[in-house]
Amino acid sequence: MTSDLVPFELQAVSIAVLAAFLLWVLRLVRTQRLSLRDSLVWVVTTLVATLVALFPGILVRAAHLVGFQIASNAVFGAAILYLAVNVLANTVAGSQNAARIRRLAQECAALRAELDIARASPRDGGGAAPGEAGRGPMP
Amino acid sequence: MRVLAIVPAFNEERSLPAVVAGLRRSAPYVDVCVVDDGSTDGTARVANGLCVTLLSLPVNLGIGGAVQAGYQWARDHGYDVAVQVDGDGQHDATFLPVLVEAVASGRAGLAVGSRFAGPRLAGAFRSTWTRRAGIRYLSWMLRLRCGARVTDPTSGFRAAGHEAIQLFARSYPPDYPEPESIAVAARAGLTVTEVPVRMSERLHGESSIGAWHSFYYLVKVSLALVVLPTRRPAAEDLF
Repeated sequence: MTSDLVPFELQAVSIAVLAAFLLWVLRLVRTQRLSLRDSLVWVVTTLVATLVALFPGILVRAAHLVGFQIASNAVFGAAILYLAVNVLANTVAGSQNAARIRRLAQECAALRAELDIARASPRDGGGAAPGEAGRGPMP
Repeated sequence: MRVLAIVPAFNEERSLPAVVAGLRRSAPYVDVCVVDDGSTDGTARVANGLCVTLLSLPVNLGIGGAVQAGYQWARDHGYDVAVQVDGDGQHDATFLPVLVEAVASGRAGLAVGSRFAGPRLAGAFRSTWTRRAGIRYLSWMLRLRCGARVTDPTSGFRAAGHEAIQLFARSYPPDYPEPESIAVAARAGLTVTEVPVRMSERLHGESSIGAWHSFYYLVKVSLALVVLPTRRPAAEDLF
């Protein structure tokens, strides 16, 4: 578990921070502020990071495999890429949600208008819209 | 033939009565549908007193979402032609019959009212030169990417025929939609034509497009015109 790659204190702090992060994510799920589905990616990445903190040798070997001279550069690179992918995924979700909200708002407006029309002429269960009364002939 | 005038309105309680009165005067055969885009003033109350169909959006969607709600109403209620007329009073309703005729005659699927086509009309508002430069650029982009020849692509005064109504009800850009929607129509194979119209400066309130927004507008629409034609079709297009 201990290695000469990373000082023990640093390893201990990293693991403590990751554990706290994991507890925070789980708390968000338990208090229903984060869905279980959306928490999965955070839980999995935190566990992977913890694994790397416990056995830094994995990271060094992986970094050299890809061609990084210094393992820390690989960490920064991977972290930035990971965050960028995450933000992009969030933006995609945002786009889809915006489209859904737009659709719902339009549907709401249409239903309300239909209701207004139905209320205005309750006996025949609908009929002409208020604006359709008394229109002139088409030229 | 059934014609629907779609009037998007965001905080237009002062202009709306004149706009609707103008429509009734110039085209009494037209049904009017006011789309209140989550206004915070008395737009909905004013519209209710005008004997029009009122679509009240529960949240502010922006001009594109509002206009699209109107097209969906037109589609679901079997209208043959839908004409967009801004709720701020910039569009002169006396030109509405000409726009409708361009579509009803089958000459075009989408007829766009243009300030720049045809002879210069007296008392007409043709915007500032910077805006005109932007408009010319957009017009050039549209011709390049979609083959649509339109001199006033930012005009929101337009008539859509049956096919265009179906298309826009399904697929309409949410913000700064005017040039992009011409591209959408042209790419769908609709004939886009222009009709010379007169516009005036808005009656009340301020334009939604300032200097910074103009820049965003140009960048966004440019990107849209470059990317749009390469998109895979979807049941409900995402913009």
